[in-house]
Amino acid sequence: MSTPVSIRPRGNPLSLGRLAQDIAREAQVPHSEGIVADAVKPVGDSFATEQSARRAVVGPAVRPVVGRVGSLGTVLLSGPTADGGPANLALHLARWGALAVDTATILDVLDSSEIDGRGGGGFPLRRKVDAARAAGHPLVIVNASESEPASRKDATLCTLRPHLVLDGAALLAKALGTSDVVVHMHRGSGMAGPLRAAIDQRKAAGFASADSWNPDRSHTVVDPAWRLSEGPDRYVSGESSAVASSVEGAEARPYFTTSPLAVSGPSGRPTVVSNVETLAHLAVAVRIGGDAWRALGSDHAPGTRLVTLTGAVAEPGLVVEASGLVTMGDLLHAGGLAHPPAAVLVGGFGGSWIDGARAWTTPFSRPGLSGIGAGPGCGMVGVLPSGACGLAETARIVAYLAGESAGQCGSCVSGLPRLASALADLASGRMRRRGLRKTASLAEEIFGSGACGHPDAVVRLVRSALDVFAGDVAAHLDGGPCSGVELAPVFTVPDPRRIDGSGGAWL
Amino acid sequence: MAVSATIRIDPTRCRGHAICAVFFSSGIELDQWGYGKITDIELQDERALTRARRAASACPNGALLVEEAQT
Repeated sequence: MSTPVSIRPRGNPLSLGRLAQDIAREAQVPHSEGIVADAVKPVGDSFATEQSARRAVVGPAVRPVVGRVGSLGTVLLSGPTADGGPANLALHLARWGALAVDTATILDVLDSSEIDGRGGGGFPLRRKVDAARAAGHPLVIVNASESEPASRKDATLCTLRPHLVLDGAALLAKALGTSDVVVHMHRGSGMAGPLRAAIDQRKAAGFASADSWNPDRSHTVVDPAWRLSEGPDRYVSGESSAVASSVEGAEARPYFTTSPLAVSGPSGRPTVVSNVETLAHLAVAVRIGGDAWRALGSDHAPGTRLVTLTGAVAEPGLVVEASGLVTMGDLLHAGGLAHPPAAVLVGGFGGSWIDGARAWTTPFSRPGLSGIGAGPGCGMVGVLPSGACGLAETARIVAYLAGESAGQCGSCVSGLPRLASALADLASGRMRRRGLRKTASLAEEIFGSGACGHPDAVVRLVRSALDVFAGDVAAHLDGGPCSGVELAPVFTVPDPRRIDGSGGAWL
Repeated sequence: MAVSATIRIDPTRCRGHAICAVFFSSGIELDQWGYGKITDIELQDERALTRARRAASACPNGALLVEEAQT
């Protein structure tokens, strides 16, 4: 380790003063990249007081901001840019200060922040914590299994901001009164290296020893006993019950249960599975206060949110952080678009299509998207350019998702391949009206029949495609394939022959 | 008499034997491949509960879950 690490905070770790100074310092540096709408105004010396610091932190909520790694206005992604490598412990502590907080405060922050799960489900973290605390002796699983092939947000966080993730996990463990934490990722994700390095830095700095830096034990956040594990790189193996199964040594497949994992995991032990972005937000919320963190978002959409831009954007795979009431137009502007595209795929491959013009003005938030029958899912926003065939794209994605079934539930096993071939027929112009009616009823038959949400996600994707591309559907039924079918895919799906059939393993 | 009980199907265990639908035809439908589908999770009366139990014990894969609320 090259940089000596000071683990003693240079002031009250919960003070916002230094945070404000950092934000002020960054404001001196010209930033233009990646910021759309009205970026935060440069902050001057007047922001040195704590009161102003709160405003500086909260400021972006007033105006929508979309920033990339290192941009002004970002929170999780503020600090060193991607070129500078991951934020090491010294940089992390210089920016955020050390953690010193008691359990009651963590629970208060979980309450006031209303942190929602960022793995796709959007489940309030506080409710998982309450369930697990009531059940007792829980296991914490940090879910770094980023299953959506086009999503990069979790990989970005784990490689560039591993200490925020680990801080959040340590806070969650403290709130649950456990020291048993497993960080679980897909094999070959590239996250193990940076996470392991970050854990080593923390160990060297004495984070795992209770009274090395803060004599007030009740406020001491001790690093838990970290364990790293990996599972097969499959789409459904990132689902929380599949992750919990994999960690328990069973197959990484979702299973049927009538009780929440936080009450009873695969072996009966209460298991809190939390996405890495969710935990990074917790690390920030504890430091700036739950209310201030919530105010970084918009009404009913607390905090900032990481978004992966993909498809026909300037830099496919670019991860941005959105604060305030951000529309998908704001996000796509950051992706280099000046005008609404033909259509947008939101929430991942298991997400929904939205008409481009409609998407442009729709807020990228759970309530905003649910108003048009979609959801933020994994935070992916993909662009379909005009000229491309949305039905051909959907057919490729459905074929991929059908192949990613865990092969357990009958209608998923029997139904998804048929749905995939129906979509392929539609895209290639081989389908007629009767076939379309049969496809629609096939989709309804599949919906709601699985142990996990996989078949439902595929059905929703298909429904949204038939709705958004209704004009194309009619043209395909009448006159054969469009010219778009011949084009290279806008959304690249993984090679279906590349099947990771291996099991879970400790790292 | 009204009961407080539920019936659920574990779709990962169901192999489409369809015996359940014979014993509890009013509460279980079959999809186009023969897999069971519960029409109403809540069991309305004693008769439905009896049939649900019979269906559950007849399933060769133990895919049906009948739960009575603790009183």
